[in-house]
Amino acid sequence: MGLITEKTPLPKIQPVKFLLNWGRRYSLWVMNFGLACCAIELIATSTSKHDFIRLGVIPFAHGPRQADLLVVAGTLTDKMAPALKRVYDQIPDPKYVISFGSCSNCGGPYWDSYSVTKGVDQIVPVDVYVPGCPPRPEALLHGIVKLQEKIKDEDIQEKWASGHSAVS
Amino acid sequence: MVTALSPDDVESRLRARFGQDVLAFEEQHGHPVATVSPERYRDVCRFLRDEPELDFGFCDFTGGVDFGPERGFEVVTHLYSISHAHNVRIKVRLPFDEPSCPTISDLFPTADWHERETMEMFGIRFEGHPQPVKLLLSEPFEGQPLRKDFPLMSREAKPWPGLVEGEELEDEE
Repeated sequence: MGLITEKTPLPKIQPVKFLLNWGRRYSLWVMNFGLACCAIELIATSTSKHDFIRLGVIPFAHGPRQADLLVVAGTLTDKMAPALKRVYDQIPDPKYVISFGSCSNCGGPYWDSYSVTKGVDQIVPVDVYVPGCPPRPEALLHGIVKLQEKIKDEDIQEKWASGHSAVS
Repeated sequence: MVTALSPDDVESRLRARFGQDVLAFEEQHGHPVATVSPERYRDVCRFLRDEPELDFGFCDFTGGVDFGPERGFEVVTHLYSISHAHNVRIKVRLPFDEPSCPTISDLFPTADWHERETMEMFGIRFEGHPQPVKLLLSEPFEGQPLRKDFPLMSREAKPWPGLVEGEELEDEE
């Protein structure tokens, strides 16, 4: 839990809300949950050529307890799903999830597989979906910008009132 | 310098030792392929491993093939010789109902996990395997997913809209 809870009256004041969301969206410690080839693109996005630190995304949190953003990159299997849930539960609020690549969006090329989870949104609530197989690093940068726009307009009190950001 | 044996040499050595117990022999992609009965499977593998001229010391893989209810299953084992740099494949024909094959995991430790995978994917029993439990599938999983008659629920709900296996494009110009 952060300093702001549902009982804190502060975020109703517009400048404070702006300031909190501004700070939050430009310091996203990212948790690398690479599962397949998409992880290569995620790592490429973190390196000097694409460099998502310039957007305030910091690679990589040493553990889920230090992370703000979870990027699920790759094919999630039914056997791996409990591990993803566990990592997500360990990330402290406020937390955000980007589903990166077709496999984690919907199963992708493994849509009829016996072992692949068709969409990580069955396991954790997803904020931004990045399509592609695998998506280019630019696509992830675009997804991060979209997430930051979402955080900018966020009202943390509303978020807590509706049971965090859970979509399930 | 030891040299690799040709498929014909491997065949003559197997024929000399096992005679008609080698049910069939062919050459595929330059590799000798012998079909044997489940009863002689272990003997053939041990012979291939221990004979100095053959010296197949490394089990590359063990897998299964599903040929349907009429032709049954096949266990395919690929052996490789590190000293001679030659290959051999051994095939074991099994019935469709309750397929059972002797284990070679005591001869080749590599075969242990391969046999466990074949076991869970095809439902083939490996007699004498020290740990006959699932390797890759999650514990609550039911069924043998690599069998041809295993239903894929996504395809049951929505059939694949494109070409299916074995179907050719009508006019390829």
